[in-house]
Amino acid sequence: MNIFPENVTTYAGEIDNLFWLIFTFVAIAFVISVIALIYPMIRYSNKNSPKAEYITGEKKKHFKWITIALVLLAMSDFVILVVEHGTWDKIEMNPPTDGVRVGITGIQWNWVFTYPGPDGKINTSDDIVINEMESELHVPVNTNVIMELRSRDVIHNVFLPNARLKQDVLPGRTNIRWVNFTKEGKYELICSQICGVLHSKMRNFIVVDSKEKYDAFMKDLYEKHNPKPKVDSPAKVATDSLQAKVPSADSTAKK
Amino acid sequence: MENGQHQQSFIQKYIFSTDHKVIGMQYAINGLLMAIAGGFLAYVFRYNLAFPGKDIPLFGQLSPMQYNTFITNHGMIMVFWVGMPLLLSSLGNFLIPTMVGTDDMAFPTLNMLSFWIFFVSSIVLLLAFFVPGGAYGGGWTMYPPLSANAYMNPNPDFFQALFSGASLMLLAVALEFVAMLMGGINFVVTTINKRAKGMTAFRIPLIVWFIDIASVIFMFAVGPLVAGAFMLLLDITVGTGFFDAARGGDPILWQHLFWFFGHPEVYVLLLPSLGVLGEILPVFSRKPLFAYKSIIYMALFSAVLSVVVWAHHQFVSGIDPRMATFFSIGTIIISIPFAGIFLAFMATLWGGSIKFTTPMLFALGFIGLFLVGGLTGLFLGSNAFDIYAHDSYFVVAHFHYTLFPDIFFGFFAAFYYWFPKFVGKDLDKTLGKIHFWLTTIFFNLTFFLLFFNGLAGEHRRINNYSFFGNVNKEPYTTFEKICTVGAILLILSQFVFVINLIKTLRSGKKAAKNPWNATTLEWVTDSPPKHGNFDTFPVVYRGPYEYSVPGCNEDYLPQNQEN
Amino acid sequence: MSNSSTTVDIRQTPQGRLGMWILIAGELIIFGGLIACYLLNRIRYPEWGMEAVHTSTFFGALNTAVLLLSSFTIVLAHTAANNMKPRKAQMYMMLTIIGGLLFLVNKSIEYSREISEGLTFSSPKLVASGKEVGSLFWSFYYIMTGLHALHVVVGMTVIFIIMLQIRKGNNLHRVELAGMYWHMVDLIWIFLFPLLYIAK
Repeated sequence: MNIFPENVTTYAGEIDNLFWLIFTFVAIAFVISVIALIYPMIRYSNKNSPKAEYITGEKKKHFKWITIALVLLAMSDFVILVVEHGTWDKIEMNPPTDGVRVGITGIQWNWVFTYPGPDGKINTSDDIVINEMESELHVPVNTNVIMELRSRDVIHNVFLPNARLKQDVLPGRTNIRWVNFTKEGKYELICSQICGVLHSKMRNFIVVDSKEKYDAFMKDLYEKHNPKPKVDSPAKVATDSLQAKVPSADSTAKK
Repeated sequence: MENGQHQQSFIQKYIFSTDHKVIGMQYAINGLLMAIAGGFLAYVFRYNLAFPGKDIPLFGQLSPMQYNTFITNHGMIMVFWVGMPLLLSSLGNFLIPTMVGTDDMAFPTLNMLSFWIFFVSSIVLLLAFFVPGGAYGGGWTMYPPLSANAYMNPNPDFFQALFSGASLMLLAVALEFVAMLMGGINFVVTTINKRAKGMTAFRIPLIVWFIDIASVIFMFAVGPLVAGAFMLLLDITVGTGFFDAARGGDPILWQHLFWFFGHPEVYVLLLPSLGVLGEILPVFSRKPLFAYKSIIYMALFSAVLSVVVWAHHQFVSGIDPRMATFFSIGTIIISIPFAGIFLAFMATLWGGSIKFTTPMLFALGFIGLFLVGGLTGLFLGSNAFDIYAHDSYFVVAHFHYTLFPDIFFGFFAAFYYWFPKFVGKDLDKTLGKIHFWLTTIFFNLTFFLLFFNGLAGEHRRINNYSFFGNVNKEPYTTFEKICTVGAILLILSQFVFVINLIKTLRSGKKAAKNPWNATTLEWVTDSPPKHGNFDTFPVVYRGPYEYSVPGCNEDYLPQNQEN
Repeated sequence: MSNSSTTVDIRQTPQGRLGMWILIAGELIIFGGLIACYLLNRIRYPEWGMEAVHTSTFFGALNTAVLLLSSFTIVLAHTAANNMKPRKAQMYMMLTIIGGLLFLVNKSIEYSREISEGLTFSSPKLVASGKEVGSLFWSFYYIMTGLHALHVVVGMTVIFIIMLQIRKGNNLHRVELAGMYWHMVDLIWIFLFPLLYIAK
C-alpha cells in the first residue's frame, strides 16, 4: 500500500520506515486500548453487572496495571526516539558539505532560484537568478544538492513532498538543507507556510536531470546569462544587504 | 449580602448579574453563539475545498483572501471563543462555587467584569470582518512578518493600522486574555478560601482541581504572550521592529512567545474536559474514580511539563536542531501522565455497573476519539517524521481528533449531565442519544480520511488543491468531498441538540434534586439552585466518589451525609 | 445563614490579599516575558550600549528615589489604616499619589528630551543612518517604560479610589491591597532602572 508520494531521494525511505515503525506501536496500543475500553462496557454494563465493586484504585494491587501500561508506553517511546534520532541527525544536524549548491529564495509569491556562477558559491556577484512563475530548478541525479534557503519578505516553507522535506525560510536567516535525488523527473516545490493571498498558487518545480543533461543545461545557462562578477545585480544587493544587517542566529549558516 | 431576598430588576438579574450561575450561563451562550460563527466559516471553506470555484450555498463565491481569512478565524474562534468560555469559564463558574459548597465566587463583581470584557472581545473579533481590508488571514498563529505587514499600505496612518484586521484580532485576543485572567483569579481564590467545612484538598471533586490547575497554567503561560501581543501591535501600528529581521528583530521570537503559551493552552482546554469525565464516569459506573489522588498528581506533573515542550511546534521553523531533540523528548514524556489519566478513567469502568445515559455516551465517545488524537500525536512528536508531516492535513486531522472531542464532547457531556441541575428541567433522552450517535459518526466521516490526504503530501491552508499533482488525483479528491459531506452533516446534526434544547425549555419535566444519584455537593441543593445556592451551608464528611460502598444501603454516599 | 463568611473554614489568608497576590504574579510574568526578550536581544547586540548612553541616569535615579519614597508613604498609610486612622491614611495616600505624579512628570520630561533627539518608538532617524539595531533598543525602552508608566497610572487610580472609599472609616483593609499593587509597580521599576539606564 503506497500512502506516500513517490519516494525519489536517499532519505525519504527512512522517513517512511519511521512512519511504519511508529504505526506498529500505535496500532498495537490502539487495539489494546479499544479492547480495554469496549470489553468493560459489555461485561460491566448495567444488565450484566447489577452491582458495582468498591475499588478506589489507590492500592498498589490495583494500580499496578496502569504502571505496567505506562512503562510499556515509555519503552516504546524510547525505541521511537532512538530510531528517529538517527534520521533527524542525518537530515538536519549533519548535512553533507560537498555537492551542488543551489539557492532557493522565497518571495511573495514565487520561489526564486539561484545557480552559482563559475565560483560555485551562492550569494556572490556572479549568481544566475531565475525569478519566473512556474520556473524549474535543475539539479543532477545521485548527487548531494545543498540548498541555501532564504526569504526576502515573510516566512515561507520549502516543501518537497517527494523528498519528505519541509523547512521554513525566514527573512534574515539562511537555512541549509540537503537532498539527494535517486530518480530523474520533475517534482513539485511547494510553499507550505501561509504567506499571503496567493499562498495557494506558490508552486515551482525541481527537475532532476541525468548528469549529462545537467551539464549541458548548465553550459547553456552560462552561455545565455554569461555570468561575470558585477556589482549592481539587484537581486544580489537585496539579499546581501539583508545579510549584512542581520547577524544570522542560525549556526548552520555560518559554515 | 442578603441572598436574593430583595427584588432585582431584569437587568440586574440577567444582564449585569454578579451571580456565578448567570455568568456561567452567559459564557455558555456566548460560546455557543461563537460556535455557530466558527461552524459557518468551516462549512464555507470545506465546501470550497470539495468543489473549488463553485458557488457556495448561503454564501456565494469565496475568494482566496476570504478563504485565508475564514480558516484563520475558524481556528481563532474555536480555540479562544468557544473552547475557553465553554470549558473553562462556563463550567468553572457553574461548578466551582456549587461543588465546594459556597454561595458565590470570591469576587462577584470581578466575575461580572470578566464576562463583559469577554463579550466585548468577541465583538471586536467579529468587527474585524467589516473593516477595510477585512479580518486577518495569515493563520491563527499570526506569525510575523506576515502579520506585522498585514496592512498593505506602505505608510499606514496610525488609526488605519489600528483598525486593520490584524490589530483588531490582537486586541480581541488581549481582551480575552484579560477576561480569562480575571476568571482564573476568581476560580483559584474561591477554591482556596471559600470551601465548605470539611472540604479538605483531597475531598475536592476532580473537575474543580482540574479547572484550577488549568487556570494556573493559563496565568503562568500567557504573560509573555501578552507582552508579545503588545510588541506585535506596535510593529503593526507605529512601525517598531521587534519581529522584523531587517531591523534587528527576530521573527522566531514571536513563535517562541506564541507557543510558550500555545502549547500549555492545549492543556488548559483539555483539563476541564478531563475533569468532566472524572465526574461522569464514576456516577454512571456506580464506582469510585480509579486512583483519584494519583490522577491529581499526574495532572500536576503534566502541568509543570507543559511549559517546557512548546518548541515541538517549531521543528521545521529553523530553530537549532539540537533543541528539537530536547523538545521531542519532553513531548514524549508528557504523553505519559496523560496516558495515565486516561488509563485510570478506563479502569474506573472495570468492575462497575455501567448505565449508558447521554452524558456517559459522550464521555465514552470522548475517550475513544481522543485515543486516536493522542496516538497520532506520537507521529508528530517525533521530530524526524515531523519534517514531513508538519503543516500537513495529518496535523489538521490530529488536532481535530484531540480538540473536537475535547471541546464539544467534553462540553456536551457536561451539558447533558448538569443541565437538569442548573436549568431545572430534564432533557429528552432519545434525542440526546441520537445527537451523540450522529455527532460521532459524522465527526469520523469528516476527519478520518484527512490523515491519508496528509500522508499523501497535502499541505494546509490552500484554497484549491487541483493545482498540486500529488493530491489532485484519486482517491484524495474523493476524500476531500467525503470530508465536506461529513462536515455538513456534522453541522446539521447539531440541530438535534437545538431541537432538544427548545423542546425541553418549553415543555421539559421539572428535574429532581439529584436525578443521577451523585455524591458531590451541587446535587444537594435545589434544581435550579437559587441565588446563594444553599439554604444551610453543607458540611463535608468524605471524598467525592463514594459509590457502592460496602455495607451501605444506597449505592452512593453524598459528601455531606453524616455516615 | 446569609453571609459568605459562614462557609469559610480555612481562613489563613484574607480573600483580597490572596487575589492580589495572584494578580501580582500574573503581572510579574508579563513583565518577566518582556524583560527576557530584552535581555536576549541585549546579549545579541553589544552595540546597544551605544544607545543606552542616551538615557539619562540622573532622571532614572531621581525617579527611583521618588518611587521608593512613595512606597514608604503607602506603608505609612497602611499602618495608619491598621490603627483605624482614616484621615491619616488618606493623607499618606495623597502623598503617594503626588509621588506617582512626580514620577510621571519626570518621565515625560525625559521622553520629550529623547523624542527631540529623534529617539522614538521606531526611531526613523536611526534607521535612516543605518543603525537599525539601535532603533530596536529604543523600541524596547519605550515599550518597557511605557507599560510601566501605564501601571503607575493604574496604581494611582486604584489608590485614589480607595482613598475616597475609606473616607468614613469603611473598607480600611483595602489600603493594604493598594499598597501591594504599588509595591509591585515599584519593584518592576527596580528591575527596569539598571537594565535600561545603568547598563551601558
